Amino acid sequence: MTTLTKTEDTPSPTGSDAFLSVRDLRVRFSTEDGIVKAVDGLSFDVERGKTLGIVGESGSGKSVTNLTVLGLHNPKTSTVEGEIVLDGQELTTASEKDMEKLRGNKVAMIFQDPLTAFSPYYTIGRQIAEPYMKHTGASKKEAKARTIEMLDRVGIPQPAMRFNDYPHQYSGGMRQRAMIAMALICDPDLLIADEPTTALDVTVQAQILDLLKDLQQEFGSAIVFITHDLGVISHMADDLLVMYAGRAVERGSVREVLRAPQHPYTWGLLSSMPRLGGDINEELMPIPGSPPSLLNPPTGCAFNPRCTYVDTVGGGRCSSERPPLADGRAAACHLPVDQRQDIFIDQIKPRLG
Amino acid sequence: MLQFLIRRLTGAVMIMFLIGAFTFFLFYTVPQDFAALSCGKNCTPENIAVIRENLGLDKPITTQFWEFMVGIVAGRDFAAGSCPAPCLGQSFASGEFVWDSIMDRFPLTLSLTIGGLVIFLFLGLASGLLAAWKRGTAVDKTVSGASMVLSSFQIYFLGPIVLGLLVYQTGWMENPKYHEFTEDPLAWAVGLLIPWAVMATIFVAQYTRMSRSTMIEQLQEEHVRTARAKGMGRKYVFFRYAWRGSLTPIVTIIGMDLSSLLAGGVVTEFTFDLAGIGRLAVESSVTKDLPLTMGVMMFGAFFILILNIIVDLCYAYIDPRVRLA
Amino acid sequence: MKLTRSRSMRAIVVAVAAGSLALTGCSNDNGKKDNGKDGSAKKEDAAKQSKPVAYGDAAASTGPAKEVAGAQSGGTIGVYLQSDLSHLDPGQIYVSDAGQFSRLTHRKLTNFLEDKDGNLTVVGDIATDSGQSSNGGKTWTFTLKDGIKDDEGNEITSADVRHTIERMYSKVIFDGPSFVQTWLSGKDYRKKLPDGPYKGKHLPDDVLETPDDKTIVFHFDQPRPDLPQALAMAGYSIVPEKRDTKEKYDKAPAALGPYKIAERKPGKSLKMVKNPHWDPKTDVVRHQYVDGYDFTTTVEQASQTKRLVADQGEAKNFIQFTTSVDPGQIQDVVSDPEVNKRTIKGFQPYVWQMNFNLNKDVVKDKKVRDAITYAIPNKSMIGADGGKYGGELAGGLFAPTLPGYDPEYDPFEKSKTPMGNMKKAKELLKEAGVKEGTKITYAHANSPRAEKQKLIIKRTLEKLGFDPQLKSIDAATYYEQIGKVKNPYDLYITGWGQDWPSPGTVVTPVYDGDLISDGASNYSHINDPKVNELIQQALTEEPEVAAKTWEQAHHRIVEEINPAAPIYYAKQLQLFGSNIGGARYSTESSYVNINDLYLKKP
Repeated sequence: MTTLTKTEDTPSPTGSDAFLSVRDLRVRFSTEDGIVKAVDGLSFDVERGKTLGIVGESGSGKSVTNLTVLGLHNPKTSTVEGEIVLDGQELTTASEKDMEKLRGNKVAMIFQDPLTAFSPYYTIGRQIAEPYMKHTGASKKEAKARTIEMLDRVGIPQPAMRFNDYPHQYSGGMRQRAMIAMALICDPDLLIADEPTTALDVTVQAQILDLLKDLQQEFGSAIVFITHDLGVISHMADDLLVMYAGRAVERGSVREVLRAPQHPYTWGLLSSMPRLGGDINEELMPIPGSPPSLLNPPTGCAFNPRCTYVDTVGGGRCSSERPPLADGRAAACHLPVDQRQDIFIDQIKPRLG
Repeated sequence: MLQFLIRRLTGAVMIMFLIGAFTFFLFYTVPQDFAALSCGKNCTPENIAVIRENLGLDKPITTQFWEFMVGIVAGRDFAAGSCPAPCLGQSFASGEFVWDSIMDRFPLTLSLTIGGLVIFLFLGLASGLLAAWKRGTAVDKTVSGASMVLSSFQIYFLGPIVLGLLVYQTGWMENPKYHEFTEDPLAWAVGLLIPWAVMATIFVAQYTRMSRSTMIEQLQEEHVRTARAKGMGRKYVFFRYAWRGSLTPIVTIIGMDLSSLLAGGVVTEFTFDLAGIGRLAVESSVTKDLPLTMGVMMFGAFFILILNIIVDLCYAYIDPRVRLA
Repeated sequence: MKLTRSRSMRAIVVAVAAGSLALTGCSNDNGKKDNGKDGSAKKEDAAKQSKPVAYGDAAASTGPAKEVAGAQSGGTIGVYLQSDLSHLDPGQIYVSDAGQFSRLTHRKLTNFLEDKDGNLTVVGDIATDSGQSSNGGKTWTFTLKDGIKDDEGNEITSADVRHTIERMYSKVIFDGPSFVQTWLSGKDYRKKLPDGPYKGKHLPDDVLETPDDKTIVFHFDQPRPDLPQALAMAGYSIVPEKRDTKEKYDKAPAALGPYKIAERKPGKSLKMVKNPHWDPKTDVVRHQYVDGYDFTTTVEQASQTKRLVADQGEAKNFIQFTTSVDPGQIQDVVSDPEVNKRTIKGFQPYVWQMNFNLNKDVVKDKKVRDAITYAIPNKSMIGADGGKYGGELAGGLFAPTLPGYDPEYDPFEKSKTPMGNMKKAKELLKEAGVKEGTKITYAHANSPRAEKQKLIIKRTLEKLGFDPQLKSIDAATYYEQIGKVKNPYDLYITGWGQDWPSPGTVVTPVYDGDLISDGASNYSHINDPKVNELIQQALTEEPEVAAKTWEQAHHRIVEEINPAAPIYYAKQLQLFGSNIGGARYSTESSYVNINDLYLKKP
């Protein structure tokens, strides 16, 4: 269990028992047009062996957050404030050298598109073996053996033969398996999976997700699972963080958030998702409008230009006052909790079926 | 691979044949009598007839063409001696065998091109990589700015200035001169230093900008990010991952530049009073010297085709996705 | 047509510039004899030399040559050329650079000896004297000197001389002069000995006779008073029979003179070294001061000039061989005394003239031709070709280098109206009844100089009321195009130079109506019976008598026919490096005196 679910606990989680603890993270990029607030005051925790799902539209800051955890943001154009504590080590102030030791070792990342995430110029084997040699000091031979073992583990047939293949010689699903093998080769304590299955066929997707779950059990890693696909999240995550315009707007356990979502944005996400067994004539309800510009985000609640309940709140609060996100199970909305429940039960749930 | 080479070489031969035919018959569409042209002060009709006969211009055009083409494969016999294959004929103007003339000039053109290429590649790629590595810093801006300025220069502009400064004014260096590399490597290098430097100055900018921008592009590739994410050092990622990806566009540009350097060597050669293929090409076309024009054209085409094949082989070597078949 | 860098271009140029064998000129050497304040050559200088050459006896023909004061031995002189030598085989040599080269390596029966004032004497080169004529000038006998050898040490005999003449009948030779062959065997001389001497046949003894190893006799059907001068042409240099390789000889000729070819890279360079078998005692003209010559045959005119002006490093030892100073840099050269003293100045042997195509109606009326002649602003035309160092106003069609040249001769009063006499011109046109807007076609080469000059001509024609049609022709084919008898142009500029210092080598080829044909040099297509008659007469007269006949022909051509408006006499300006000694303008070559050069610090 993550601390997120401990609604009864003290408001400010210390992160002492969390493996990764992010506190009030702010990431800003300076661009030619101005300052982009990609992440704006984000906090979350992940425990060992658990999976945190982060959902949100593109540009909501979910990928930036995780790149920042690994220190892969461009230090020249971006500023990072807040805390990122991994296993007791503060990362925002860590040296590049220390970060290099962490990456691929203690923290590994799986990327969305395995075709572009592998270099086309080197063999899969070499690319997987590289971090192992670097972090463990293993010889080429040892690294090769370990790589083949990992390839086998992630379900690549004839791994010894495929070791010398180039990425383009692998199928999409195999590449993603290889990517997972690469991420896991050093037994990472934290695995960040950034939309790891988005580029794959649905059937392959399911295999990969199962594989990840199996491996998590075996290796006991914590996982941060980034996606925009709520269906995948329900399958994978323990806890859920919904992000909008660089901020967390709702969090709770997967069950809580998906069964009884409290934020109008989460409602929108759920309503815009087709479901098996749903009425074929039933219309999907996409969220009106488009994601806000992070260069010049709306005042107050960033969701207010797209929110249907601004008038319900009334008094112009939504556009003037930013609703806070309480600790634990919470949603950042000016609607009173009771009213949210009513609206969800009366208006939203019927649509979700 | 072998199949690829055979196919490409066959294509090259056919293209050369077409170029040869095109040049040959184009020559005859221009109503100029080379015999009359090459005839000196004593240009009597009798002398013109003798010249026509000597040059074989009295034979039907198709026969002349056939003899020329056969000569390439089998060699030919001329009054001035036998011309072994690949015989590109005998220059109307100088009476030299075209192949000999080309082989005589080629070392210079090659030295000029390769020497210049090595220098500007080295400098251009080094400064481009430096700028990419130090992207956004003062170093980057200085390098990028300088390359903008340099790229606006032309050989015929910069060449005389450098000559004026280093040779005419101060006498620090002699005028560029070609020595055989095999005879005296030092004299070879010293003699060509000024043209190399001038060529390098002009071309270096292009390579600086290009290597900088492709490196920056490559550094934004996802696989580069992956490599960083798995803990590989910045330098390692820069030189192994990003650089490897930059090679393909760079090789493409080098291939194109080599062709244009060889073809455009004429400006360099005239600027520095050197005798290379470019000069030969200009002389041959000015004097309507058919065999020489044909020879230079076909040799140039051959060289460029070979160069293209080499570039393709390089692609295959650099990028495993490229398969030669 | 000086922008030449190829053989064929040059070959054409020869038709114009014909510098190769230009044999007279002015004596303005190194500025020592400067008459003018500006130091450029003056017509008056040339006038002194415009008398027929003298024929020297055996004493005058005996070597060694007079030492050049202060001469040193050793070192190598560098030679700048814009392009490779067109020919090395003497039989093919008719042009400037090859002719100049020939002076270093080939020898002839006769040669020109030039004194320090530029006076020329024909002397024996390998012959003991300039030739003995008998039978009223129809028979010429030459005796060979002892000790004449080629560079392999073979003694040269009369058979070699006969071989030299006879090989010019074969198809191996097509670029050289044909005077002697034509005189011996007529216009169709090639038919008299179709394969030359190569199949064992020879000319009959009543044409060319070798009574013994040392004697050679020429038999003509009419007096040939110019023979000693004709035989002094580079084209009649000796080709030893044993060494003749026919077509291949053009790449590797034997040497009889002081230098031989050591190494040749076609189109790039040529190295000459001393010929040990040349005996100075047999040669009254040539020296062998330097160890050799290094030719660089790829240096453009502008670069040559820059290098020699800068005079840095190896350029100190270099000379311009046949190229002139770049017109664009003449001011840099003459305004710097340090550079100016390293120049040679004189006249080139040719006259730039505006040819009227007498076949065309628009210029059929002499009044029209005279009008254009009056109107041309000669001074502007010179200005477009380097100014006063590039040329001098021409009064007639005889260059200052030609015997019979008269500096006072100026029937169109050009010295009074150097910018043209528009009033007179318009009057003449009115008399001729030429209408405003009459079309007239002017053809010009696309060389930089001609491009500048065309604007002047265009303006002049417009002022005269013509509607000028300009036609630009590729410089390489210019003379071929206008050399066609049926060419469609009305006006075009040409230049012609003498082959030896006799008006016969100018008037005959350019103004003889019997010689009109495609590719021939009678560009105006003048065919005047009186002129033709005078030419035939003069050709058989002794030089002294002939001079009068030539003058008569010249005046008739200029004043009564006016086939070509004289524009300007071309001048010579060449540079040499500061370590070059003994350099001066050679009247004989109209270039630097190649046989007298030495290095001050070898």
